[in-house]
Amino acid sequence: MTEKKSLTRRTFLQGTAALGALAALTGCTSSSLEEAPVNQEAIDGGEVEVRHAWCQMCGPARTSCSTLCYIKDGRWVNVEGNPAAGNNWGRGSRSLCAKGQAAMQTIYDPTRLLYPMKRVGEKGEGKFERCTWDEGIQAFADKLKELADDGMPQALGMLSPQFWPVLAQMGRRFMNVYGTPNYMHSAICASQRAASKRISIGPKADCAPKQMDKTELLVIWGANPENSAVNQGQPANIVKQKARGMKLIDIRPMMDQLTSKADIWLPIRPGTDGALALAFLNVIIGEDLYDHDFAENWCNGFDKLAEHVKQFSPEWAAEKTGLDAEQIRTVARIMGTTKPMGILYGNGIGDQQNDGNWECVSICLIEAITGNLDVPGGGGAGKVAPPPLVKTSAIDILTDRMPESDIDKENGFAPGVGNLVAPEFPRWYQGPKTWESGGSTAYYKGLMSILSEEPYPLRAVLGQGSNPFGATRQPKNVAEALKKLEFYVVVDTHWNSSCDYADYVLPACSHYEAGQQFATKNSPAGTFIGMNQQIQEPMGESRSDWDFLLDLAVAMGYGDDFWGGDMDECLREQLAGSGITLEQLREANGGIFVERTDGAKPTDPVYQNYGELFAMLPNGKVQCYNEWIGGKPNCMETGELGFLPEYSGPPEGIAETPDLVEEYPLIISDVHAYRLCEHSYYVSIPYLRELQPYPWVRINPATAKKYGIADGDWVKIESPYGWCKLQAQYFEGISPEVLMARRGWWQSCEELGLPGYGSLDGGADTTVLYNTDIEKFDPFHSSMAKQTLVKISKTEEGEE
Amino acid sequence: MSKQYGFYVDTDKCIKCWACEIACKQWNGIQAGTVARRKVHEVTTGTFPNVTRKFISLSCMHCANPACASVCPAGAITKRSEDGIVVVDKNKCIGCHYCFMACPFGVPQYTDEGMEKCDCCIGNGVTPGDTPHCVMSCPTQALQFGELAELGDAVSQMTAAEIVGTPLASANATAGPTVTAATVVMTPDELAIDDGGEKVAAVNSNGC
Repeated sequence: MTEKKSLTRRTFLQGTAALGALAALTGCTSSSLEEAPVNQEAIDGGEVEVRHAWCQMCGPARTSCSTLCYIKDGRWVNVEGNPAAGNNWGRGSRSLCAKGQAAMQTIYDPTRLLYPMKRVGEKGEGKFERCTWDEGIQAFADKLKELADDGMPQALGMLSPQFWPVLAQMGRRFMNVYGTPNYMHSAICASQRAASKRISIGPKADCAPKQMDKTELLVIWGANPENSAVNQGQPANIVKQKARGMKLIDIRPMMDQLTSKADIWLPIRPGTDGALALAFLNVIIGEDLYDHDFAENWCNGFDKLAEHVKQFSPEWAAEKTGLDAEQIRTVARIMGTTKPMGILYGNGIGDQQNDGNWECVSICLIEAITGNLDVPGGGGAGKVAPPPLVKTSAIDILTDRMPESDIDKENGFAPGVGNLVAPEFPRWYQGPKTWESGGSTAYYKGLMSILSEEPYPLRAVLGQGSNPFGATRQPKNVAEALKKLEFYVVVDTHWNSSCDYADYVLPACSHYEAGQQFATKNSPAGTFIGMNQQIQEPMGESRSDWDFLLDLAVAMGYGDDFWGGDMDECLREQLAGSGITLEQLREANGGIFVERTDGAKPTDPVYQNYGELFAMLPNGKVQCYNEWIGGKPNCMETGELGFLPEYSGPPEGIAETPDLVEEYPLIISDVHAYRLCEHSYYVSIPYLRELQPYPWVRINPATAKKYGIADGDWVKIESPYGWCKLQAQYFEGISPEVLMARRGWWQSCEELGLPGYGSLDGGADTTVLYNTDIEKFDPFHSSMAKQTLVKISKTEEGEE
Repeated sequence: MSKQYGFYVDTDKCIKCWACEIACKQWNGIQAGTVARRKVHEVTTGTFPNVTRKFISLSCMHCANPACASVCPAGAITKRSEDGIVVVDKNKCIGCHYCFMACPFGVPQYTDEGMEKCDCCIGNGVTPGDTPHCVMSCPTQALQFGELAELGDAVSQMTAAEIVGTPLASANATAGPTVTAATVVMTPDELAIDDGGEKVAAVNSNGC
């Protein structure tokens, strides 16, 4: 025995038993601004240097957590949360999540892409040779000029799974100047939920409580903050309020970590949340638990909704959701009578189901008709913070440069929307007022235009910081599209699983190597501003994402609109008027905190400010009967949207497709976010991979035993659309009819000797399992199902 | 002894995010795939849908009477009189594993350098008694650190009523931990109590 990685069960239990004699302590906060963070002597003596960075482990160009990075002998060795910035629970917090703690390992990852590469073999064959940056950028610019000469600039699509600033600001500016509206957004995103909220209760109203210290009941519904935003305030606040006495109901297929703290858990079948929401409305209205004053004064078509939901009884929903009808009724009553109530709903629903729009609309209506909107502790109703003391500006995306076509003019579309290859939202919805950032195409549908050539094929695609084999569903179809695509350019830190299909693959550096973005955080105590200081020179020939777009713009002859290709000039423009110079920011090792001296404190807003909240909605009221979207074309322009919430359910489900159940008896879904990864990235990082060495699938032990599958066995998982192999992890906190996995295993981890796995059939990616029939996507916002039926069998690791 | 520092684990607040584990590794320069001075453990009980999960972050207990130190033939393990932190001198450690056998918590682990365990971060430059990095990193403030007397006082004030009449009062599963008097405080948690192994369905270090 040379090492012992973890306590055994025996020793662990002995430990916990002894410790039990002591007990709880609350309210003790150990962190303080004054306490020495780390070997202060080493810092004072110059052995250790401290630099500031915005943690990018939750995605490229994110600026949620300010960090202090400790550099010794030229190497970044440690990182911690910056207590001055106001991360997580506020000033003084030095906390960081697991991913954030491992940030150093991302820049030293031996699997980093270091040199520009040019394809020399067939697409998908993987034959590449080194080239120069200039060659790659010039080739891309030449292709873009060719498209423009053909009168088809819109044949360029830019992939952007999340609205990350590099593409949402600089990229969008490039697109507007060049003339393509095809910003290819994943449709698996918070913006789906935001749109459903906008059309039902208005953009300014909210279901999640912004004064949770007053919330009596919190419903976590398909949200996953303990995995997707560990250090961004919510988990800390939820466990704190739970200790205060807040009741917690959790609606998720798996017993996640916060679920384990809940008073009631509804282990719902993946993809059936819409049915549950309709049954809640049925009970709340049917049993007269709604707020009559609100229904009478602030609801559009309440009676029509009341009549409509009569058909959705708890018994009807029980059949769909796999839940007990009486439990549905009980929870509906609790939600109808406990005030104030907030609903924290997240990416698990809304944008990962075929009927995500009506699902989220229904949740918004529950929050509204129970009288919980805009009351302290209910939905929204945040305190009004004093204004920021440092004012900066975002990059102007030059919306006015996008040519407005006759179709745009005639229909009131935002400029360019008439040219979208596959509108993410209906074109009529993408007007200048509702979609001010410009038009968007749905990622998957846009890629499929290459195969269908309807209404025209995309001819060039830029995949910058986005792996289309991981950012959308069914990589087999994506691979076919990329094979046929004329020109595919990848800019990434790693050789992602789509790179074999690229014409050029250009190496991006991390933001830790670039020093080209800043952000602010405002709090009652003051305003923090910090810059990504360059922690070290870019690895190999890697270059920053910002510089790539600037260089491309210059190569296109757009230098005048892009600061002559100088990012520093762009940054200076954003800082103009802030009172802080770029040089000051670059020198501020811990960022700059401007203290509030006027004594201003957060103030109470005007509560129940419904006139203003609902001003944008038809008749100025909550859309129980939706006159904003009802009767208008869907996003496919193949039919009309309805006025009242409907349930369609997953494309394959136990209740939905009983014929399939005999062959495919189990439901599978996967977690959208996991606390050790960022989508399909970071299983190359040793500290993170150590905690999840193999592609896992959670399975109830009773189910596994039925198939002769032991804990840790490899399992072949087959759906009607594809198959993959994952390693079984026994878990009691999941229904015997459900499996849950995590997507994205293409990266290897050299330090631990652990492999990467394929993204196509036979690999380890659940995305191959799902139905991608475009006709079944959400007709309003293009969300696609992430649930299907599967059969399982025991197998071995490796190729078959 | 003038002072005794210890950890406090609030199992109601721990969300098994693993921040403490990785914070411990990065600040103590521990390579992935080797040892872990701190681990987040999970106890899952019951069967679907009546399941309970509890998460407990543990490292060395810095016992009042450390059995590891008593048995060490090389005199490599010391309980510091000024703060009660138990430390190991790797220059003296001969890697004999006696301390692992003696420790009721199975804490000592070994690399080629010698025995590895928590030293409350004093080896990486944190002033003894200041907050170790695992505690500083905790996103939900589930993990705390302080003088045991203060932690104990707070505990007795807050939850004395809860302790009486619970299985916790007679929770000594073995004589070992009692004799060594671990200095870690936890929330009362009947699920973490072993009543002969019946209640405990699974204890995982990884996953989910």
